[in-house]
Amino acid sequence: MTLSDRIDLLMPKVLKPSRYIGNEYNSIIKDPASVQVRYALMFPDVYEIGMSNLGIKILYHTLNKRADTWCERVFTPWPDMMEQMRLNDVPLFSMESRTPVREFDILGISLSYEMSYTNVLQSLMLAGIPLRSGDRTEGPIIICGGTCAFNPEPLAPFVDLFTLGDGEKSIHQCVDLIKDIKSKGLGKDEFLRRAVKEVDGAYVPSFYTVDYDERGIVSAVRPAEGTGAPALVKKALVNDLNAADYPEKLIVPYSEVVHDRIMLEIFRGCTRGCRFCQAGMTYRPVRERSPERLMELARKLVSSTGFDEISLMSLSSGDYSCLRELAHQMVEEFAAKRVKISLPSQRIDAFLKDTLKETQKVRKTALTLAPEAGTQRLRDVINKGVTEDDLMRAVTDAFSEGWNAVKLYFMMGLPTETDDDILGIADLAEKVRKCYFSVPKERRAPGLRITVSVSVFVPKPHTPFQWCPQTDEETVRHRQLLLRDALRSVKGVDYKYHEMDVSRLEAVFSRGDRRLADVLEKAARKGCMFDGWSEWFKKDAWDEAFSECGLSPEWYNLRDRSLDECLPWNHLDCGVSLAYLKSEYAKAMREEITHDCRKGCTGCGIKRYEGACR
Amino acid sequence: MKLVYVFSKTGRLRFVSHLDLQRFLLRALNRTDLDLAFSQGFNPHPLLSLAGALAMGYESEYEVFEVRINGDTDREAALDTMRAALPPDLYIKDVKLKPDNHPSMMSLVKMADYTISFVSGFEAVRRGAEAFANSLSVMGVRKTKSGEKEVDVRALCKGIEILECGVKARLMLTEAETLKPDLLVETMCRLGGCEIPEYRVMRNALLGFDPNGEPVPVAEL
Repeated sequence: MTLSDRIDLLMPKVLKPSRYIGNEYNSIIKDPASVQVRYALMFPDVYEIGMSNLGIKILYHTLNKRADTWCERVFTPWPDMMEQMRLNDVPLFSMESRTPVREFDILGISLSYEMSYTNVLQSLMLAGIPLRSGDRTEGPIIICGGTCAFNPEPLAPFVDLFTLGDGEKSIHQCVDLIKDIKSKGLGKDEFLRRAVKEVDGAYVPSFYTVDYDERGIVSAVRPAEGTGAPALVKKALVNDLNAADYPEKLIVPYSEVVHDRIMLEIFRGCTRGCRFCQAGMTYRPVRERSPERLMELARKLVSSTGFDEISLMSLSSGDYSCLRELAHQMVEEFAAKRVKISLPSQRIDAFLKDTLKETQKVRKTALTLAPEAGTQRLRDVINKGVTEDDLMRAVTDAFSEGWNAVKLYFMMGLPTETDDDILGIADLAEKVRKCYFSVPKERRAPGLRITVSVSVFVPKPHTPFQWCPQTDEETVRHRQLLLRDALRSVKGVDYKYHEMDVSRLEAVFSRGDRRLADVLEKAARKGCMFDGWSEWFKKDAWDEAFSECGLSPEWYNLRDRSLDECLPWNHLDCGVSLAYLKSEYAKAMREEITHDCRKGCTGCGIKRYEGACR
Repeated sequence: MKLVYVFSKTGRLRFVSHLDLQRFLLRALNRTDLDLAFSQGFNPHPLLSLAGALAMGYESEYEVFEVRINGDTDREAALDTMRAALPPDLYIKDVKLKPDNHPSMMSLVKMADYTISFVSGFEAVRRGAEAFANSLSVMGVRKTKSGEKEVDVRALCKGIEILECGVKARLMLTEAETLKPDLLVETMCRLGGCEIPEYRVMRNALLGFDPNGEPVPVAEL
């Protein structure tokens, strides 16, 4: 029986077999004999999450354009499937050809969030691949990229190569290199030795030694002699997004996935400089695609996929310089085909609203706003360039246009936060309510709904808050209850908050060092996986893993780091300089804002990169 | 006019649920150059309907969907554009052009033919199948969303032929009277006094009645 037949036998035994069907429309099938490089591209989460990831779509497309390479997708099977696979000796397989992952030349893994780390390990175990890089003498070279690659230290012992920054070019450099290495009959060591010179943003963790001081704090991270690895690894930067590859076909899943629509990335990067936001720092500079290029892509994607919705994606789509022009053109062209154009709703001005009215399902969804903090003081600290007036204008406009639902997103546990800032959230909710009632009855839609959703802040590396302790659990719990009580007096508010367990762990790993690899491995061996899914989060197993390794989570998430501490990721350069992060930290503590850098350069350091911001 | 497409859904596609298939077909229609007719109302959608639901895990070599278009088209064009919009394992076998007022395929379906194949262990089932075929009435319990209901399984089975490793059966498929292959298998195994072995189901045809009361594939009506 073939592996594919054996996989089919498991299908009736799992909840959603459609996750494992493969061969979806527009997926790419090649003759394995016709290619020199087989690339397994994995998103370490379940199918419907991984299939919604834009990075995977871009890389899949660009790799498969090469005649010499076949890139196939891999996802982490849901626990029910994992169990069946283990019981029946079915190894982790690719979606297209159902080839065991261990038979590929390269396994590329996208790291989007820390809570997927155990899934990375679970997937390797399921693939029958030894976890530690040093224990692997055969099988695929393991390369990780994505957001978390900017502090990948907790995964350092497991991964052969990290690639920092944009992947459109560096992934080809990796493939060119492996092709050459294979043709010469050489192995992984030679690949890694050359990768640090030939691949943009290449970071080979095994080439670096990490020293710790007597307190257990990292004191130095240095490239080992003779490796040729740089002391500071610069990220890969793709400056011209118009010229960069972008998919013209997208795989159309059989089952429903999270983002069941065309995702069109209108620009990369963000100029706002919110101090809590890692993406806002690491994706600099802002690089826009031209409206012409976007229209061309939209046309091709609509006809190749049959999707009836295009979502204009970016970190802050309202900031796209040609948004009106683009939205107008798209609506004009696609209205007849009944293709909806959707935008994040927070920054819709009057012109856009009229343009999008016909095609967008605006009235069905709530207006979503993210003030992030309850008081102006704290919004200044985090440099969220939004004032109360802005917010009140936005909601009043929305209410007079017939909206009746508003979602407000906040974070709790931000640096310098006090109880007053939390009470400010309730205050803001009350003011939003008043805005609704200020609109004449005949003009507003009945049934006001306000949702206040509060997450727990996680300090992230490469942000001005990278030195800040996370707020401790007791304080968070106190403030959650404080807010709950304060919101009781505001009618019509739905208050949502989360348990802190996952945020706490996220804070540990986002700023973790290499020693945490042992904790990860222990946790994975104890069955931890899908930690971001509350039903799978195993707090006890995690606690055991930490204590067995003699490490304390609190040391990682609650420790106040000094500004001159050698952070475990200081040798990795995301474009924004350390000096800039320090000055932003100081300004935050002084409650001073930094303006949007579209209005003038703020000197973040990205200009050190060739061609950036020009 | 209405286009009535006959297609097969085999191989791995047997794990695509009815709802997922519907959504997939809607997107496929968007990829064609058919001038689709849309429903009225707040959220217009193409007028697509499947003749019947196929249980997850079953294959079929005869499924039917119909779709309304504005104006006319010819058979070849309708066939080519739809084939081009679908993956090879969802193969369009035929298309029939019908007037707008033609009864819906769903309302015409009365019975279906199935081939039930047993991977192994058919010997024991065979005794049950023979006993079943030779009986006039065999009661069984039909499980529905609203509860359990005792039905005459034999009466709902309009024909059964015993094959080397399975059976071919013609089963009722109307709103009031339906027999699912799973219940037939369960009943045969009960009569044969055996556990239910692993089996696969292939739907061979959806049938309606012609004016003479003869069963014919539904798209022919």
